[in-house]
Amino acid sequence: MNILRAVLAKDLLSEWRSRDRLPAMLVFALLTVVVLRFAQPGGSLGGDPAQAPGLLWVAYVFAAVLGMNRAFALELENDALAGLALAPVDRGWIFLGKAASNLLLLVVAQITTAVFFSVLFGVDLAGVALPFLGIAFLGAVGLTAAGTLFAGISVRTRYREVMLPLLLFPLLVPLLVGAVQATAGLLADGRADPGALQLLCVYDAVFLIASFLLFEYVLDE
Amino acid sequence: MTSAAASAGAWAVTAVGLEKRFGPVSALRPLDLTIAAGSSIAVVGPNGAGKTTLLRLLAGLARPSGGRLEVGPAEPDRRKRRAGIGYLGHATLLYPELTARENLAFAARLYGVAEPEARADALVKAHGLESFADRRTGEFSRGMAQRVAIARALVHEPPLVLLDEPFTGLDPEAADALAARLAGLHAGGRTVLLVTHDLARAAAFAERVVLLRRGALAADVERGDSEPHDFEASLRAALGGRP
Repeated sequence: MNILRAVLAKDLLSEWRSRDRLPAMLVFALLTVVVLRFAQPGGSLGGDPAQAPGLLWVAYVFAAVLGMNRAFALELENDALAGLALAPVDRGWIFLGKAASNLLLLVVAQITTAVFFSVLFGVDLAGVALPFLGIAFLGAVGLTAAGTLFAGISVRTRYREVMLPLLLFPLLVPLLVGAVQATAGLLADGRADPGALQLLCVYDAVFLIASFLLFEYVLDE
Repeated sequence: MTSAAASAGAWAVTAVGLEKRFGPVSALRPLDLTIAAGSSIAVVGPNGAGKTTLLRLLAGLARPSGGRLEVGPAEPDRRKRRAGIGYLGHATLLYPELTARENLAFAARLYGVAEPEARADALVKAHGLESFADRRTGEFSRGMAQRVAIARALVHEPPLVLLDEPFTGLDPEAADALAARLAGLHAGGRTVLLVTHDLARAAAFAERVVLLRRGALAADVERGDSEPHDFEASLRAALGGRP
């Protein structure tokens, strides 16, 4: 647990001083929302709010991948990744520290993007703010659990910026199905589909446990 | 964890047929090498000789492609093995957005050192880093960063110290201070392995110098009772006039 806290504090302090990831994630997510807004016929959802959850989660996934790619690229500077690999600790805790910092940044990006999305598309998220945040959080946990693991795997490859989405996107399909369905249900009738929520919870648990265990080998050269 | 490693005394190293390949390229050919606990040893050789590969294998940062490697006490738990190794590579392992003191405290936390801030303060003082300890390491010159990196490698008082070109970027005064520190570590019973191109430094510090060439052991020279100057001359002779 001390290692988790140490890695988390180190990552957040580095981010606070460099402002390297969050602004890029925010700008990217907001630009995605703007582009999607203008891509809609007539510049709106055209009376079909069922599209809103899908569009929103597309923006979330792009922002998350951008942030997680950068999170490990920073570890390559001065070969700090080797410093982590040398630490005499269960590397799963290093994973959790990195994932926690990715999660915090993603949640900030999600909230900001949701507000922007709500205004731009005229979708009322305020009335379902708390359950929406819960779904967004469950989705973010799965995104960061899988994304942090695969960012660690791809960081030493030559084409890491391309490699992470290539490895990650297929694995995100179940998560996105659950997140979009849950959000759609919430926006349509104020109640998220329990099956979709279960899918999100199972995905989160599977990837948290698997990533915790597999990270021991991810840091090996 | 850390105190246990530190109190375990010096660590020995035994490599039998140790080999490392990167695809079709053999970075290290089957190598037999024994390093006694508490010894000081320098590894020299031209670029591409396999010195850094050997050091990374010893540190546990790379896995051997073949052969057997024993580092420290027989210990199946890799975490406990890592706890006894202090490593400085080509890069400094420092986070540029953190200050020198924060980098040292973070490393102390990774190694489970009790009171990491106090340990960082002690290292700052011991290594003479006070004047720039609270500046971000991203602003440092190579020499300043190298001094912090050396302190970082010793944060947990490891029984086995592995250093890759530690004199790089240091001014003569700092290099002499480091040489004295390394001698102190060896005198304190630690095993110290140094990779360097500097034969004079190697001769002054090490009891034994190993020459690698094209990934293979080319010479293994003991200092014995000779003076550093004579040892350096015999090294040059053994190396055929070039490191």
